[in-house]
Amino acid sequence: MSNINRRTLVKGSLAAMMAGAAFSRTAFAADADPILLGVSGPLTGPNAQYGTQWKQGFDLALDEIMAAGGINGRKLAYTFEDSQSDPRQSVAIAQKFVSDPRIVLELGDFSSPASMAASPIYQRGGLVQFGFTNSHPDFTKGGDFMWSTSVSQADEQPLLARYAVKRLGLKKLAVLHLNTDWGRTSRDYFNNAAKEYGAEIVVTEGYIPEERDFRSTLVRVRDANPDGLVLISYYSDGALIARQARQVGLKQVICAASSVYSPKFLELGGDAVEDVHVGTRYFPEDPRPEVQNFIGGFKKKYNGVEPDAFNAYAYDAMNMAAAVVKIGGTDRKAIRDAFAKVKDVPSVIFGTATFDVATRRVKGAMNAELVVRKGQFTVWDGKPT
Amino acid sequence: MSSWLDYTINGLIVGNVYALVAVGLALIFGVSRLINFAQGSIYLVGAYIGWVAVVQLHTPLPLTIIFVAVVAALVGLIIERFGLRPLQNSVRIAPLLATIGISFVLDQLVMLTFSPNPRALPSQLPDVRFEVGGGTIGPLDLLIAGVGISSALLLFVFLRYTKLGWAVRAASQDRDAAMQMGVDVNRVNQTVFGLAAALGGVSGLLVGMYYNQIDTAMSLQATLKGVVAEVVGGAGNVPGAVIGSMLLGLVESYGVAVFGTSYRNLFAFLLLIVVLVLRPNGLFASARQAPPEPLTGTFIAPSRPVRIPRWALVVAVALFAVLPLLPVSFYVLQTLINAWLLGMLALSLTLVAGTIGQVSLGHAALLAIGAYTSALLSLTLNVPVGLAIVAGGLMSAALGTILISPSFRLRGHYVSIATLAIGEIVSLVILNWESVTRGPIGISGIPPLSLFGYDLVDPRTVYWFAFAVMVVLALVQGRLLGSHLGRSFRAIRDDDIAARAYGLSLNRYKSLAFIFGGFAAGVSGGIAAHLYSYINHETFNTQQSILALTVVILGGLGNVVGAIVGAVALVGIPEMFRIAAEYRILIYGIVLLLLVRFRPQGLLGTI
Repeated sequence: MSNINRRTLVKGSLAAMMAGAAFSRTAFAADADPILLGVSGPLTGPNAQYGTQWKQGFDLALDEIMAAGGINGRKLAYTFEDSQSDPRQSVAIAQKFVSDPRIVLELGDFSSPASMAASPIYQRGGLVQFGFTNSHPDFTKGGDFMWSTSVSQADEQPLLARYAVKRLGLKKLAVLHLNTDWGRTSRDYFNNAAKEYGAEIVVTEGYIPEERDFRSTLVRVRDANPDGLVLISYYSDGALIARQARQVGLKQVICAASSVYSPKFLELGGDAVEDVHVGTRYFPEDPRPEVQNFIGGFKKKYNGVEPDAFNAYAYDAMNMAAAVVKIGGTDRKAIRDAFAKVKDVPSVIFGTATFDVATRRVKGAMNAELVVRKGQFTVWDGKPT
Repeated sequence: MSSWLDYTINGLIVGNVYALVAVGLALIFGVSRLINFAQGSIYLVGAYIGWVAVVQLHTPLPLTIIFVAVVAALVGLIIERFGLRPLQNSVRIAPLLATIGISFVLDQLVMLTFSPNPRALPSQLPDVRFEVGGGTIGPLDLLIAGVGISSALLLFVFLRYTKLGWAVRAASQDRDAAMQMGVDVNRVNQTVFGLAAALGGVSGLLVGMYYNQIDTAMSLQATLKGVVAEVVGGAGNVPGAVIGSMLLGLVESYGVAVFGTSYRNLFAFLLLIVVLVLRPNGLFASARQAPPEPLTGTFIAPSRPVRIPRWALVVAVALFAVLPLLPVSFYVLQTLINAWLLGMLALSLTLVAGTIGQVSLGHAALLAIGAYTSALLSLTLNVPVGLAIVAGGLMSAALGTILISPSFRLRGHYVSIATLAIGEIVSLVILNWESVTRGPIGISGIPPLSLFGYDLVDPRTVYWFAFAVMVVLALVQGRLLGSHLGRSFRAIRDDDIAARAYGLSLNRYKSLAFIFGGFAAGVSGGIAAHLYSYINHETFNTQQSILALTVVILGGLGNVVGAIVGAVALVGIPEMFRIAAEYRILIYGIVLLLLVRFRPQGLLGTI
């Protein structure tokens, strides 16, 4: 029975699941098949790099989960469907996952248009959509099956503002942000917090993700005469801005959001990112065992490569999924209820993660104040740059 | 005041970067009247070959440049020989589609070989900076400028004073006459493709070094900006391309200076529209230059369409109508819903591109207008969803026609480029007009589809709804094509001078086509908005426009049934290859190339 079912599913043509969904789900639970999670994310297209980073984080977490005995003796596995971050494809994937009784939980998608277009289908289909990078404030408002461990920008940006204003003593800030839903939301939280701490925002510039040339933008920044630049950027555009800022002769302190925290930022930025301050959620020398496990394990598995923020999000998400499935079993509704029950799941980003049942998000991200010194991220020693 | 000097210098510096791509595009356009959408991919290949040379082989800079140029030229020769030469006797639109397919394949090959992570491409020049104005420039800026200007000069000399150059120009003026005079046109094409590809590869290398960053997403942006610069300077005009690039850089830089960074590309595309409207042959075209497109409509060649008997269509419609009653998974239904939505867009595009000959590359803008109108009406004014979708269609028809009307006097490729720009402008306006469109945050919580108070949330009812709307639109369009209106449309496409001589008002008929087409596309966008519940400026992007054009050409230009068959195929193929994960877009590109090669008039033929 299960074999026939699987074959028809792979073909994707004749899934006679609609009527027998409940029946076949219990049939699967009995056998030795792994518990399956569905991942919807970009493996090709303009955001493909983030999908590959997710995979690295997932695989590392799964190795550790298996080594610890799996989920009550059963294996945990995921199937990754490429959405190209395209809403048209993410909704088809959503239907695919919802009508596949083996899938107990869904992770992703990456971009807001792709994720939130699929939310109604997951909500109606009763399958949890666990959007671990979805910071859009409306994501979890899609319904009680939408949960997210994405660090709320309402949490993160005030920490960055405190670093820039209170700790580094910057009073006149130029804010450059990605003009996306994430960048805009972040910018608003940052600006409000920075003003509360007593700083003045002298100029804000939003740029599109494809932008590579910032020299004219930086002239605007220069003319506003700030004493610090704040980058609400990802690592590739953050590195570009830092390089060009130095090239056009801006010598101000640069302070960047945690999303630039990646070895790629150092590689792409070179000398220009020296002395850039970054507010992050963890750092390599962090003595917390979950951080040391993660970084050590990652380097071992991937030939000494340092993990970055997106690897960490994916790693945490897979561990959270395992914790949830341990409580909720393989019933989709029980899994949704389990999100409200899990307590203090060890997490790189949060220390320990517990969901706020009202917002279906996790509060209390860890905070670390780093600076780039001699081409490495190190904990800021309090000395001015 | 000194800031203006800085903005000027910055504009010239970035114009420099655009020039490298634009010159290659201009060269190819000059000879084969083809916008080579694969130029950005060759640029990408050049950047990664350069990375291999610099980081792994540690070659010195001159050797790196030669190495990249040779490999890129080889890639160009392969593209010419196996991708384009087999198409030289087929319809004019086929090579255009082939370059799109080739760019898919090349981009995917690079991504699979090197992973999509961005890489650093360290500059091999000493890091000295010269103070200019308030900023500095480095040796790479000078090298890029040197390569851009000297290659333009060399090409100019080559085209004007060498025998092969004469052959190139002869072939570009009149292929058949050149062949009769004994010019080996194939060799000319090879030379040009090799040269353009070498230049494209080297520009990828230099730009990668300039930003110390290369990634697989750089190809489309390079093509877009290169095309804009090239057309501003006068398509096919090599020195013009350089000056057009500088102008583009300056306009962008001043745009940033006056309005801010998020308006930058808006100015780039506005510049393009203004130039196209005022001087359709580009700023530097000479008055006696021959029209860039043939006077009569060989752009879209007539072919014998496949005749499908009426009973077969009825059976097919009936089959698809009862499909949800059969034991079919919701995933299949959802995929078909996507196909029907794309089908509506394709109906719209096949009318304007196929029937009346205005090949649009910005059709996603019509989706976006319809989607935003419908979403905002139903959310803020509580208009019933069914009515809001119709309003979205009407808004799309009206606004789309008004936006496109300045480009009615353009022909052939220029229409495509103008519509490409209009599409980008619409998307940028959506991004920046925050008080109405909510900018990058987008619109969330859009109510689900409903009709007469009944929510359509079950995939089966959504399927029936989308299918019924598409069938009605297709029937109306089929009726339209059979009427005198359809014959007038085709007359304008096939020979606009003859059509005008018969007393047809070209602008009026083109408007009518865009009104009907805009309505169909707007309805499709409206339905999508209510289906997704969340949209922002990225939901309907350039890739969708290119996909729509692919669907239409695949199905057969102007062919109503073909548009729908094409939509099902192009939604279905990537889904069928899901098992191939990362390789599926590569397979998609190859399938596309094979289709263009063996069925250039489309599956069902041009009507």
